[in-house]
Amino acid sequence: MPGPLEGWHVLDLTQGIAGPYVTKLYADYGAEVVKVERPGAGDVSRRIGPFPGDRPDVDTSGMFLTLNTGKRSVTLNLKTRTGRDILLQLARHADVVVESFRAGTLERLDLAPERFAEANPQAALVRISNFGQTGPMRDFSADDLTAYAAAGILQVTGEPDREPVALGIYTPLFLAGAIAAPMALAAMRAAHRDGQQEVVDFSIQEGLAGSMDRGGPNLVSFQYSGALMVERRERVLINALPNGVFPCADGYIQVTTQVNWFDRFCRVIGHPEWITDERMRTNLNNPLEIGGEVEMAFYEWLLPRTKQQAMEEAQAVGWPLSALNTPADVIRDPHFRERGFFVDIDHPRAGHIELPGLALRFSGTPGELRRPPLLGEHTFDELQTLGYAPSEIAALRAQNVI
Amino acid sequence: MNDRRPPLDGIRVLAQGLVWAGPFSTVILSDLGAEVIEVESIQHLNPTRTQMRHIPDVVMESVGGTYYVNRDPSEGFWNRQAWFNYGKRGCKSVTLNLHSDRGRELFIELVKHADAFIENNAAGVVDSLGIDWDVLHAANPRLIMVRFPGFGITGPYSHHKGYGSNMEAVAGHTMVRGYADADPSLTPASLHGDPNAGAHVAWAVQAALLARERTGEGQLIEISQSEAVMQHIAYDVLDYTFNGRETGQRGNHHPAFAPYGVFPCAGHDRWIAIAVASDAGFAALTEIIGAPELASDERFATTIGRLRHRTEVNAEVGERTRAMQNGQLAAALQSRGVTASALAHQQEMHEDEHLQARGYFNTITHPEAGTHLYPGPLAKLEHTAAVPPFEPAPTLGQHNEYVLKGILGLDEGAYQKLIEDQVIGDTYLESATA
Repeated sequence: MPGPLEGWHVLDLTQGIAGPYVTKLYADYGAEVVKVERPGAGDVSRRIGPFPGDRPDVDTSGMFLTLNTGKRSVTLNLKTRTGRDILLQLARHADVVVESFRAGTLERLDLAPERFAEANPQAALVRISNFGQTGPMRDFSADDLTAYAAAGILQVTGEPDREPVALGIYTPLFLAGAIAAPMALAAMRAAHRDGQQEVVDFSIQEGLAGSMDRGGPNLVSFQYSGALMVERRERVLINALPNGVFPCADGYIQVTTQVNWFDRFCRVIGHPEWITDERMRTNLNNPLEIGGEVEMAFYEWLLPRTKQQAMEEAQAVGWPLSALNTPADVIRDPHFRERGFFVDIDHPRAGHIELPGLALRFSGTPGELRRPPLLGEHTFDELQTLGYAPSEIAALRAQNVI
Repeated sequence: MNDRRPPLDGIRVLAQGLVWAGPFSTVILSDLGAEVIEVESIQHLNPTRTQMRHIPDVVMESVGGTYYVNRDPSEGFWNRQAWFNYGKRGCKSVTLNLHSDRGRELFIELVKHADAFIENNAAGVVDSLGIDWDVLHAANPRLIMVRFPGFGITGPYSHHKGYGSNMEAVAGHTMVRGYADADPSLTPASLHGDPNAGAHVAWAVQAALLARERTGEGQLIEISQSEAVMQHIAYDVLDYTFNGRETGQRGNHHPAFAPYGVFPCAGHDRWIAIAVASDAGFAALTEIIGAPELASDERFATTIGRLRHRTEVNAEVGERTRAMQNGQLAAALQSRGVTASALAHQQEMHEDEHLQARGYFNTITHPEAGTHLYPGPLAKLEHTAAVPPFEPAPTLGQHNEYVLKGILGLDEGAYQKLIEDQVIGDTYLESATA
């Protein structure tokens, strides 16, 4: 189904996670994305896995599959002059070029922004890197853990008497990609409107540092009050009611209970008499006074219930209690099933697989999740479109250019 | 340089962009040059500004006070709130009581002058206010509407209430991270589902604008914050669908690298994150931390060996880093090609040499909050970006006159009547509720 970006063309020089997430959004929502990969090895995410049956294969890595839906794959050796010439020919047809090499790599390849502007003045160039294209740390390498460390957020994540703890594998780089994505689209819009190149310098460190979780709000809170809103501190009870993670019959739940939800809380856990209890009502912000009995009553209600049951009963009255789903629960979860979030894909090498689907649902131009490409699957087609004859393409292959 | 118009120049976005997801979308759209108008009311507290009409001292002295200027609870504190003033910088504020006929009527008039309306109220709110998609689309067929409640607008959980931590829980996020040796009650909330959703909203508005240039029509876009964040645990979700495997809480372990993780350094609460991806990297690390004998330890000779003995190898590394200065150690490792970074302290980041060189932090003077440093635009656009000094976030109802007289053309009499009838105002009513 046509997506909102039908008719737009993207030249994708990204690899890993953050960059490919940007171009994935383009591809899933209708743009034509030509992804340039290194001959032989391809995008680094082709080696990350997880692999079906744990058998490594450049065409079946789960991280590659989920990040590269709907793209076309062209292999091109950018260390050769011919490879770079072909790249600039591809750039002529693009509205935006997105790259996520180490800072300065394009310049070293003689592919500075001006080269792209010469090839196509109306296209934007979006540069995604760990620390930006300038500054003393621009050449530092990073991965998801170290980028989060440099962004200041790892320091405030975890228990006070222990080491800070990661957000889960690769997670911060997905967020960085999501933040870079609207910047890329804006630059494409501006370049197209003005008929002049626009260049974006996106630093993963800066995107994460200002992100609206423990990033930006914490930085500004410190400016405002001299204190951080979130840090690795002793847990403070925000009121006398249950807040946080609690065990139940088959796992765990997460709950937030504000004092103005006291009435619904009482009804759900079977203590409606507390609603009019003056001692309770006047101590809702006083855990020392009533916290113990409140928690006891909460556990009496919670422990016999499954996470799903507890969630349904609480949410029915607008009390935000949620199941802590494991990956297996998520796959089977009735909500995501009914919404048809996961999408079946038939893949020539990975077989029948299920991928997380479209998170944005456009009523008029929905877009669709399409099969990710095999390494170099579209090299021949793309070169033919550029006017190369089959014999020339064979020669390029022999010279290891493609 | 800013020698050309910003990318979203001339685009007007109405917003009820709440808490963290909403403000993250508005700061991005506003930084990119859109005119963003936050639609608030004096009857209902904007939860980004405050959940309480008066903030008790006990709250102000606690974590709940950290995001107000000097923890000052005096009237107008809602104009001095950190996330609001960051997430709404450059935006405008109009108050309209959408529960009144007149307020609703004016909102629909305003919709006719807007390109987009973005909202993350609880799922049923726009329907109960009579400003759902059908109504707004009829008023302005070119309008783009983005709705991004936690669990979407359809499905069994669409009515579920929740903050970031709830969405992450249901999306499977909480159970795949956190300390590998502790129960999930010690897993810190991540809350990054909020900025993730907000960034997607800023993307979706622009994608729909491009589609509108082709079709002439607006459209409704729905984003479920929990679905959008599920991508982020794709590795674990796919490992389950491919192999039926559930790894559980990963702590600081990496599936393919060791040593890997967060290691203590000299000083109070100083740490370094190190990711060793090769044997050569391991050899360089052992040299730099003064333990070359580890490189010849049979157990640690290969990546497979180090992964098998990751607890031991991490412990050996941590023993050595403990006495070292984290910034120097990171630089030394980087110079040998080993990925590492000191854990930055947010209290010190505005003095960071690298971020300073890039001009990341910028001063904004807000009429009520004062002068502070804020994180800069989250990308540098060479020709079309907004440049400092940025406009501050609006105070409550600051742009009532601009919106109602300027955009909607009301005369002074009609405007005064709105104030009298409390359809608009610039301070919360005593009776205002969350």
